[in-house]
Amino acid sequence: MISVKPFRQHALASVAARFRGSRPRLLAAHWEHEPIKSKIRTVRGRVVLCLLFLLTVLFPALSRAEISTTAFDSANKLYEEGKFAEAASAYEKLAQSGRTFPALYFNLGNALFKSGQVGRAIAAYRTAGQITPRDPDVRANLQFARNQVQGPTLSPSRWQRWLGRLTLNEWTLLAAVAVWLWFLLLTMLQWLPALRPALRGYVVTLAVSAGLLCGCLAAALYETRFTRTAIVITGEAVVRHGPLAESQTAFTVHDGAELRVLDQKDEWIEVSAGARRMGWLRRDQALLPQ
Amino acid sequence: MRRSVPRVRPKAPGRSQRRLRSALALLATLLWFAPAILGAASFTATLDRETITVGESAILTLKFEGGQPTQMPAPPAIAHLQVIGEGSSRNISIVNGQISSTVSQNFTLTPTQPGDFSIPSLRAEVGGQILTTPPLKLKVVKANTPAGSPSGEQLAFFKIFIPKKEVYAGEVFAVEFQVYIREGVANAENILQSFDAYGGCPLKAEGVSILKTAHAQRRRGRVGNSNYNVATLVTSLSPIKTGTVSIGSMDVPLTLQLPTGNRRRDVFDPFGMFQQYEERRVNLSAEAETFTALPLPKENIPTNFIGAVGSFTMTVSAGPTNIATGDPITVKIQISGHGAFDSLALPEQTAWHDFKTYPPTTKVDTTDALGLQGMKTFEQVVVPQSVDIKVLPPVLFSFFDPDQKSYRTLTQPAIPLVVRPGGSAPAPTVVVSNRSTPDNPPPAQDIVHIKPRLGAAAQIGVPLVQQPWFLALQAIPVLAWLSALAWRTRMEKLANNPRLRRQRQVAHIIRNGLIELRQFASENKSDDFFATLVRLLQEQLGERLDLPASAITEAVIEERLRPRGMPEATLAPLHELFQTCNLVRYAPIKSSQELAAIIPKLETVLRELKELKP
Repeated sequence: MISVKPFRQHALASVAARFRGSRPRLLAAHWEHEPIKSKIRTVRGRVVLCLLFLLTVLFPALSRAEISTTAFDSANKLYEEGKFAEAASAYEKLAQSGRTFPALYFNLGNALFKSGQVGRAIAAYRTAGQITPRDPDVRANLQFARNQVQGPTLSPSRWQRWLGRLTLNEWTLLAAVAVWLWFLLLTMLQWLPALRPALRGYVVTLAVSAGLLCGCLAAALYETRFTRTAIVITGEAVVRHGPLAESQTAFTVHDGAELRVLDQKDEWIEVSAGARRMGWLRRDQALLPQ
Repeated sequence: MRRSVPRVRPKAPGRSQRRLRSALALLATLLWFAPAILGAASFTATLDRETITVGESAILTLKFEGGQPTQMPAPPAIAHLQVIGEGSSRNISIVNGQISSTVSQNFTLTPTQPGDFSIPSLRAEVGGQILTTPPLKLKVVKANTPAGSPSGEQLAFFKIFIPKKEVYAGEVFAVEFQVYIREGVANAENILQSFDAYGGCPLKAEGVSILKTAHAQRRRGRVGNSNYNVATLVTSLSPIKTGTVSIGSMDVPLTLQLPTGNRRRDVFDPFGMFQQYEERRVNLSAEAETFTALPLPKENIPTNFIGAVGSFTMTVSAGPTNIATGDPITVKIQISGHGAFDSLALPEQTAWHDFKTYPPTTKVDTTDALGLQGMKTFEQVVVPQSVDIKVLPPVLFSFFDPDQKSYRTLTQPAIPLVVRPGGSAPAPTVVVSNRSTPDNPPPAQDIVHIKPRLGAAAQIGVPLVQQPWFLALQAIPVLAWLSALAWRTRMEKLANNPRLRRQRQVAHIIRNGLIELRQFASENKSDDFFATLVRLLQEQLGERLDLPASAITEAVIEERLRPRGMPEATLAPLHELFQTCNLVRYAPIKSSQELAAIIPKLETVLRELKELKP
């Protein structure tokens, strides 16, 4: 009786050898041993499973990154051709894909600015600035766009600009590091009280630093999460004394004006452009960035 | 026996006084620094109008913000100009937690003849700081009464007053729209108030750019033989084309109420107590006035002139001046004077070709309601690109001065720089368009070009400080410190209480000793077993009786324990244990079972000894 087993074994051995770069004949002798054969099968199965898993996990991410880059390049090309409105639409579409890129919001701001939408451009630059607050290009363009705004607008104070040089997470980590170091030093001094006189200066310095950084963190948190800003996106918007279309005009703001949101009611938001300029603005005339 | 004596903290004499003194010192410090907390003090002097006619008055307002002067300054005596103080006012406002205080003093200036009057610089001391105001100019012209002009007969009329008949294109000047209501008109106050509250521009003109309208203070004037109350709206204009420009006003229908004089009695007013009024409806508009808009001279135009018209001065500062290549220098350029500050721009500085420049930030501070007088500050960041740079070239600013009818160029000396070799990080690219050519360079003031690469993705999510896991993580160092603190406190407590320390040591010895006993019993090591047993009894008794363990013998039962009233039920087993130990010295062989049977007896005795009060 002729068995097909040796033939199958030889075929498998040649495949295995091809993987290992060795000659099939040499392996064929070892292939007869069942434990080694099953071990190789198990190892090969695991490798294949790992490859499949990596492909399943990485391929969508890689392909998505590829698609993002291609779409970004296309939008950049539109911008270079002077088709700013189309470029802005392309950037916005890309921004809606769920992934956040500082360069994307920066370019979106440029396209919106070039297409005459100063308010929307400022909003895009602010988003880019939240991610990369120390990017000089973002800061320069945001300042340039702000300089174009006519009429009343809230410009950030020196203190706010200083706080804005770090992201909220950076402030958080700085404060956390200072607090951790301070407590670890205090803990160490409980174990080694003999070091207390020598390390007293460090304890005080760290305590003061931790306090100041926590204060900065609280201020940054308040500015970022609890202060809302409205950015006017229409050419000219009337701020009224009350949340009614018939209310008297308080003052007029222009595209790009940044206003502090104090309250909201139905389709109106109460805004302030300084200590003595307060009123109600239609919500559809302004963007309320998160 | 130690008795704890309650410690009475001696009350320091005058302690409450010291506290009160500290509180007062703190309050005084706060008051001293209050101006600094509220913001830097400022002192401004403004005229409600720059040009008036003989017979009219201008109001000079001295305003102090963020502080109070030690002595209120007053303008000096000026020939042919009557100065009358009108009293001062103080205003403190708190809006959104921001406190602002203002002290104002008004003076009425009434000229007796036409001419140009100069109000010199005024000085005042505010919070230890000497503040000064720039000099002001008041132009007084003759009151012209052309044919058809009001002669005092009319109840109300409008008038347009143009201070200059020749104005250069781009020059900013103020035009007055005056509302005259004759005294005796019953509703004059209501009409004037409605003009005071008017927010628009009352003028109609072509070929000019209307900038801003403000309200001057109400005043009284005389026309012919009649007295009038006058409300004035001042509008700043700037010609945008040359030639003759006519300025008219809006048409306003008014209803004037005049007292009838005779008090007619009727059924509703039988005693004639109420004044009767006659209503007259009038439709008013001002006579159009003209002026000539002149073109700017075409000769001697400076190369960097970009359209600024007015009268300006400039100061320049820069810092830091000792930097590495690629480090930014902030150049602060302050242009102050008279002109259209909103549209004032800084010309491109061609001499800064060795620097990378960023668009400047601007800030306008005006001292008058029309925004014509004040200062514009440009803050421009420049980055040196080479170590060969030794100076920041002079800043040039050119403008056309209408008073001198010529172009002027302001400049400041070059600022010396020390530029060191910098790090490897290159400065960011500024304003470089892909389509720019060397022949056609891009404008210096534009946004930075788009980024060619997408870069790394970032996450905008819930910040760390609002993540529960992150907040929970912060408890770790606190808990570590609290644990160390508790451990340290316990150690110190033990160190200060030798009895407690010995008690714990004995408890530890007994715990280990009982384990050893069981081991010796199982291994049938009789000698070791009883030696350990005796040691344990000695340790426990020594700790309870506050004696060294080595001093404990069987005799302590009679000498120390029985006098303390220890029950016989405890003493008997203790006695038996000592006896057993003594017997073993002579008959050491015992079986494992017999040894193991002793351990529970020992445990019972030790437990009962522990309850003995030391």
